[in-house]
Amino acid sequence: MARRIPRLAQAVLTIVGIYGAFRLVFDVLLGQPIPSSLLTMYMFFVVAGVYMVFTFTEESTRELVAPIRALVEDPRRKPIRNVVFALTPLLAAWFTYAGLQPRIEAPVELRSIHPAPPSSVKMFGKRFDLLKLEKEEPKKFRQLVAEGAKVYVENCHFCHGDKLDGRGPYAEGLNPVPMSFQDVGTIAQLQESFLFWRIATGGPGLPADAAPWISSMPVWETFLSEEEIWKVILFLYDYTGHRPRLWSENADHSKH
Amino acid sequence: MSHFLKVVAFSLLVIAFFTGFSFFGVPQIEPAPPPKEEAVERGAMTIEQFVALGKKIFDGKGACTLCHNPVGGRAPALERAGIAAVERMKDARYRGAAKSVEEYLYESLVKPSAYVVAGFGKAGTNDTESPMPDASAGSIRLSEAELRAVVAYLQDLSGVEVTVRIPTDAGATAKAQDKPAQRAPAKNAEELIAQFACTACHKIGAQAGGPIGPDLSRIGASRDAAYLRRAILEPNADVPKGFAPGVMPATYGEQLYARELEVLVAYLAALK
Amino acid sequence: MRIATGIRRALPRLALAAAVTVFLGAAALAPEAAFAAEPVAAEGAKASAFAPAPTLTTADYPQIRGFNGRIAVWLAAQLHLWFAAFVLAVPIFVFIIEAIGMGTRDERYDRLAYEFIKVSITAYSLTAILGGLLLFFLVIFYPHLFQYLAGIFRESMIWYALLFFAESAILYLYYYGWHWLQGGFAKWVHLTLGLLLNAVGTTLMFLANAWVTFMMSPAGVDAAGVFSGNTWAAIHNALWNPINIHRVVANVAFGGSIVGAYAAYRFLSATTAEQKAQYDWMGYTANFIAISALLPLPFAGYYLTAEIYAYSQQMGITLMGGIFAWLFIIQAVLIGTLFLAANYYLWCGMGRSDGAVRYNRYVKYLAAGIIVAFLVWFTPHTLILTNEELKALGGPYHKILGPLGIMPAKNIAVNAMILFTTLSFLMYRRANKIPTVSWVNAGNATQAALFTAGLLNIFFLGVYHGYFTNTVYKVASSIPQVLTTLAIIVASTVIDTLMYRGAKEVAPLHWGRVSDRSQYALFLLAVAFTWLMGLMGYIRSSLRQHWHVTNVFRDASPDAFTPTLGYAANVVSLGAIIFMALVIFVFWVSQVSARHTTAVGYWKAEPAR
Repeated sequence: MARRIPRLAQAVLTIVGIYGAFRLVFDVLLGQPIPSSLLTMYMFFVVAGVYMVFTFTEESTRELVAPIRALVEDPRRKPIRNVVFALTPLLAAWFTYAGLQPRIEAPVELRSIHPAPPSSVKMFGKRFDLLKLEKEEPKKFRQLVAEGAKVYVENCHFCHGDKLDGRGPYAEGLNPVPMSFQDVGTIAQLQESFLFWRIATGGPGLPADAAPWISSMPVWETFLSEEEIWKVILFLYDYTGHRPRLWSENADHSKH
Repeated sequence: MSHFLKVVAFSLLVIAFFTGFSFFGVPQIEPAPPPKEEAVERGAMTIEQFVALGKKIFDGKGACTLCHNPVGGRAPALERAGIAAVERMKDARYRGAAKSVEEYLYESLVKPSAYVVAGFGKAGTNDTESPMPDASAGSIRLSEAELRAVVAYLQDLSGVEVTVRIPTDAGATAKAQDKPAQRAPAKNAEELIAQFACTACHKIGAQAGGPIGPDLSRIGASRDAAYLRRAILEPNADVPKGFAPGVMPATYGEQLYARELEVLVAYLAALK
Repeated sequence: MRIATGIRRALPRLALAAAVTVFLGAAALAPEAAFAAEPVAAEGAKASAFAPAPTLTTADYPQIRGFNGRIAVWLAAQLHLWFAAFVLAVPIFVFIIEAIGMGTRDERYDRLAYEFIKVSITAYSLTAILGGLLLFFLVIFYPHLFQYLAGIFRESMIWYALLFFAESAILYLYYYGWHWLQGGFAKWVHLTLGLLLNAVGTTLMFLANAWVTFMMSPAGVDAAGVFSGNTWAAIHNALWNPINIHRVVANVAFGGSIVGAYAAYRFLSATTAEQKAQYDWMGYTANFIAISALLPLPFAGYYLTAEIYAYSQQMGITLMGGIFAWLFIIQAVLIGTLFLAANYYLWCGMGRSDGAVRYNRYVKYLAAGIIVAFLVWFTPHTLILTNEELKALGGPYHKILGPLGIMPAKNIAVNAMILFTTLSFLMYRRANKIPTVSWVNAGNATQAALFTAGLLNIFFLGVYHGYFTNTVYKVASSIPQVLTTLAIIVASTVIDTLMYRGAKEVAPLHWGRVSDRSQYALFLLAVAFTWLMGLMGYIRSSLRQHWHVTNVFRDASPDAFTPTLGYAANVVSLGAIIFMALVIFVFWVSQVSARHTTAVGYWKAEPAR
């Protein structure tokens, strides 16, 4: 029978393995790395979970702690002990140094992706109540969508991309990069009125209390007509296949 | 006892972890400070800003939206207030004295019972008495200017012509004490030069002056008005040879009235 | 928590029914008749007798140098709330345990119930003291606010004060009469006292809740804050019932966790095996109570959120979408901690029996399930990205984590977490037993099928409705998910109970044979609960932003700003530490009375007769 791996090694291997798996799956296979701030929290709770699994019985705990106890108490391990005791503070110092060292990179900036919209807003010289704003179902739906597509191609695709995935030719120059409408987390989570507001008033129209925000979205009400914005919104939902958010079922005007 | 200490230490550690996470695990977002009350500045407003002020009062201080909102149904919607006013003034139930839309709207704010929209009267009064308080009294206590701003907003909201004139005195007096004391404008260039003690550094015209700044006694001969204007507003944009940059204060743009600046520039440009 | 709007349809009726039931219990003492009768007289005559909400300036708020009025009020209110929650919750489960004891005629339950109430009795006076402190601070630092509120709630405040006499009288009778009212009819009288105690206590809390919720969602006043005279309207405001329900459930969970910590400490310092066994059992029961109340708590929270949205969408968005969005990440971490601690305690508890070894190997799968669910649960919608990561991802949206950040994923996660905890509990129950019924295999298969089907259903509902249909169904799908979870819990418990009826015990259960580590899980539970309550108190209050009474009475004090999360965390931590210190004192005092020192030679010798 092969020698069993010691419990402590098992625990460490599990943690390292999970970390490696996160890295492998997200960074390499999917190309979508987990942000370091989140990965830290993930690993914190993974460690907590591993600790729980390895210590819920007395025998397992004893086995887990035994090597550490031996390291501290066993007189024969004095050399290793000295090395460990010397290395630990050095390691801590290095972590602190690395963490505090100034970097060239700009500091992390958080922005609210969906700030709370004002309840009503003045656009096109008129007042719109955003809580109730919905465009009635158009009769010539297809035609309007096609017109929206034209408006999109003429104005929006440079940044938001011809596949509406936020990867237009200018996208690389912007930080943050333009919104991908294909994502389930964007327009599918929002009402048409929200889109109307964001398109018409752009970055400058964002509320102050949702700061910090950064958006290079132009104020489209100066370039497009009200009708054109509605058409573009129809196009966005039609092309991506998303449905706008509704507050109740009977308010569903967007069936088509 | 050692158990006791261990438990206390453990609990403190847990609390420290939660606090630490609240600080470092999530971003610290500074909530917007409470909104300030509005001041009507004398003559410094466009009608558009005045309407915007009216909206702010409507949504905030005036507490109008508490009832006049689309959900509550406690008070009539006001999207057509300006249009409806014309019909209402002709209505037999109208008991006010307004002759124009503006007067009607103003009256509706201070004497809400002059006309009660059917169905919105106080219970049991058969729509003769409005539940709305007088907006110029009570806790809302809008000033004359604030009331007019609301009227302007209501006219704008319902798409009728905004006939309200921006008051020049009423609102300003209400908030006058909040504003810093204003300097009286100087009458002419000489007085201005004396007030700002320009000669501490410059020779100007016939006046003697210090050697810190360039000699301006005949400055109009070599520089034009545009250059002089910039030199006053942005002293460090072009510093003549032999003088240190950053000595002349860059704050005159904020201190001078626009007219004063022009008087001063014209005066300097004429020194030939 | 967008789920909120959908659940709205189903819950109010249930909630109302529950509230009415509790309220009717108190009808004899509750001033309901007064509420109903009074407005009629008041409507016409007194309509103008009430002043509008005053417009204040900074000068209207008394300042004491070196003393922050808001923090003082905040801490006093929070401490009062912690103690009040504790002393209100304990009688609820003491009543239940006493009833169980009467049903089973097992005296251990009676002793346990007594031990519980003993713990809460000393905390009772502290609750009152802290309430008084809060009142003083309010009158000192916010005199106009208090005057305004007292103008509206004058009757209910008097009733509140009077009810306190009833509460005290019944509590003292209940506690000091415990050993006196024993056996037969007397025991029934005692149990009735317990019921009465709960009724009065709950009414007290409901009254105080009315004042708090009035400040959030004012009713019975006009736009200027002029009171209509209808007290019942002011009390029965939009958020009153949701808060009532949420607080009753949360109180039980909180009370259970505090008693659990008490038992854990007594366990650690116990010297005899008998004591260890007793406090181990007490800790186990307290933990069981806390977790049973914790499981429905998320749903009570959804209902409250739904009502906040219904009352004011602006307030709802401030709550969930604005600056407070990150608070819910902290909340997720705290609730996750609660679940992890509770499960760990159950797993450790398997060491009490010799038969549990058979199940040890399943623990790691349960742990994996819970941890995965937990990680999904606290994945934020808005990720904190460095610029490098932003570029690597090609935008602020993460293709995998982004969809995990929205509500459907969280719903799946929380339901899964609850189910895994249920599994832990079932496993714990089974640990020491071998079923003897003939249909063991069929039973096990049914249960396995039940859990698998349930999890699949929850998963399917969440994924399909959450990501592939429009948002109305996304919100609505949370209700069948919750029902699935509840159905599984009930059905599996029933099957398990039947299956293990008359089961063989592998070896006797050794109460007290449990590691010290597991007791720390109980402390973790208590501390996390305390801190969580403080945090949620902050957000409930902050929703009003710069208003004393939302949109009616403006807060003009220098402290009208909304504090940041870090600032709030500091205050909450400070409060939690003070609370812990006071609780330690309370527990210690409850021990002192049992100690007797024989002072030999101190008293003069008794005269010989």
